Amino acid sequence: MDELALERYFDDSIANDSGFTLEEEHEPISTVQQSSVLSGKPGARVKPSEELDFSFLPDELSSQDEPSGRTAAAAALDGSQDSGVSAEDNLQDSSAAEPQQDVSSLGLGRGTSPFCPMTPMTPMTPMTPVTERSGIIPQLQNIVSTVTLGCPLDLKFIALQARNAEYNPKRFAAVIMRIREPRTTALIFSSGKMVCTGAKSEEQSRLAARKYARVVQKLGFPARFLEFKIQNMVASCDVCFPIRLEGLVLTHQQFSRRFSRSYEPELFPGLIYRMVKPRIVLLIFVSGKVVLTGAKERAEIYEAFENIYPILKGFRKQ
Amino acid sequence: MTSLAGLSCPGCGSSNIVDDDLYSQAQLVCADCGFVVSEGVLADEPVRGLDISYSRTTAVTKRPCVNLIRGLERVKEISRILRLRGEVEDLALTYFKQAYEHESFIRVSLQRKEVLAGCCVLVSCRQLNWPITVGTVGCLLNADPTLVGGVYQEMLKVLNVEAPTVNITDVIEAHCQEYKISSSDVPEEFAEESKDLTKRAVALVELAADSWIVTGRRPLPIMMAAVYLAWQSLKPLKHRLSFSLDKFCQLAKVQKHKPAVTRITELKEALCKLGKEIPWVGESVTPGNVVQQVGDILEHRYALLRRALRTHEDAMQAECRSSSVNPPSEEMVSSQISERVAQTASSVEQLPLSNEGGKQAVEEHSQEFEPNWGKRVLFAPPCVSHAKRRRVEQPTPDVTGDEEISDSEIDSYIRSPREVREFSQTQKILASSSGGKSQ
Repeated sequence: MDELALERYFDDSIANDSGFTLEEEHEPISTVQQSSVLSGKPGARVKPSEELDFSFLPDELSSQDEPSGRTAAAAALDGSQDSGVSAEDNLQDSSAAEPQQDVSSLGLGRGTSPFCPMTPMTPMTPMTPVTERSGIIPQLQNIVSTVTLGCPLDLKFIALQARNAEYNPKRFAAVIMRIREPRTTALIFSSGKMVCTGAKSEEQSRLAARKYARVVQKLGFPARFLEFKIQNMVASCDVCFPIRLEGLVLTHQQFSRRFSRSYEPELFPGLIYRMVKPRIVLLIFVSGKVVLTGAKERAEIYEAFENIYPILKGFRKQ
Repeated sequence: MTSLAGLSCPGCGSSNIVDDDLYSQAQLVCADCGFVVSEGVLADEPVRGLDISYSRTTAVTKRPCVNLIRGLERVKEISRILRLRGEVEDLALTYFKQAYEHESFIRVSLQRKEVLAGCCVLVSCRQLNWPITVGTVGCLLNADPTLVGGVYQEMLKVLNVEAPTVNITDVIEAHCQEYKISSSDVPEEFAEESKDLTKRAVALVELAADSWIVTGRRPLPIMMAAVYLAWQSLKPLKHRLSFSLDKFCQLAKVQKHKPAVTRITELKEALCKLGKEIPWVGESVTPGNVVQQVGDILEHRYALLRRALRTHEDAMQAECRSSSVNPPSEEMVSSQISERVAQTASSVEQLPLSNEGGKQAVEEHSQEFEPNWGKRVLFAPPCVSHAKRRRVEQPTPDVTGDEEISDSEIDSYIRSPREVREFSQTQKILASSSGGKSQ
């Protein structure tokens, strides 16, 4: 095959993010899954305690935005109900309506269409009114995502040919690559799997991952952009009042599960709070700063913060 | 008469050797020919070595693993040093037996097993209301507190137990016992009765807790600071005031904790805030001269606190009036102060203070008073009042993730052929010059 044509083919598969690649890789599965998502997947009723896992679905669905966006919307919409069940309902509802209608705005809380630049983030307005909204928005600090490039890689070659790469096989079996914009770091393994860290938003993480894939492509490998998945999101915020951690660890004793709260000042200055729904770990510090981690979606972070804020405020007033 | 297997008579070759206990001396006799095989055989009995492996013998159940026994002895030893109640020791022993068998601990180093012994004591102390600190256990085991902490967390997971958080006021009494400054240990002018010292140290620790010095911090340096200031203030004469923390620790034969110095400063600052409100003190109260007032401050703690908060509130209101801040700030500040009072009140037993001002929803406005709300209240956690200056991150433009990626940008990350050549040549030179040492 002519080199230029090959390059064009590769560039297309990454730049377009369309079903172009996917139809090749997932053709037998994707259409079936898409239709089953639209029809509400009657056979796959999730138990209330499970999270919906959409990792099997292709990342880029040509006709609609990511289904994970829908889960996010559902989770944010339905604070009291179980997210699993309501997500299903919403999927059914929205599929009945126009599936393409600003799904990205639903999922990610934007009031604009997916093709316009983002307006500053506002959290999703819940349909069921929450008694006391905090007015504080957790800021995302770090996103960790993984991508499969789909071909084995010669790490020594990459480390030699790329300016922004470091490779020390004795210390770690991956190439550490960095790009300036968005400021991120990637770990590239010889199996073709890649981890991208340091981005401040999901979109930035995806853009960065695509850039790394492009670099690897340019170096001559048949890299693709498959199974992009956000693995972890870390956010932080400040409630602006001090918190008595030694008191907080004792409150609600009858409701807390074992190990849901841990405060060991000799080992760590913060209180470690493991929330069940959504499954997020919060680090609460005496200064009022809160770190939230363990989320796969932005809405989980917002939900977790809206859950903890009344507890912190209520505790403060005791 | 018992028959012994595996032996043959040197006389006739028969294997029918029996143990003949008829005479006072036990003998081995061949039943067929009467040959006395005698004690020579007894010496070869399998006392010194077994033909069967240890794990297959009954010795495993009869005599448990040596290290397990040693570990249990260590638990008992630690319990005795700490003078624990019988039931605490028993619980610790139970936990140790349980944890030791677990796969996480059965094949670890001996040091780790020893630390595990200490951690079992620690968790049972906590559960049975006899609190000790991780630092104390670390000192007893002569191990790094970080290591102890790690083993402790793992042990909690293995045993699937929880321990209540240690309250510093519970631990301080036991901590005070460690200081050897009774009249039998040191000269009279330095001596202090343990009872008096403890009482004052407890009051100082409670004050520290109210002033946000304690939360989130390690307890040992705070307790050390409290004991030091208590000792100084019980007889605030020149010979005690001139004693540095170092000298005090040498005198009392305890190991100094470095962060205690900062805690002393913080505690003195908090004392000054209250000391300023004492009506009969003419001169200004500074960290230099506050120690002499500590007795009075502690005695009239609550009244002084009320006065200090009121003074602070007045100062804030005056400031607001003079500056062009919008009206809501006044009530916001005063309700912030009343929040502060409520907060300090919550940790103290019976403070007859009602919450001044309403509990309006001021939180929404609080962010307007960024960056440092800590400077606007009387007492705030030190990490807030002395906040680190963070690097201001440039806000990155929003992206959709689907943008076009320019070739030139990607090319900027790839070496030119010349660079590649030079780089690999340099690598070879470096590799050879370092005498075959790999990079």
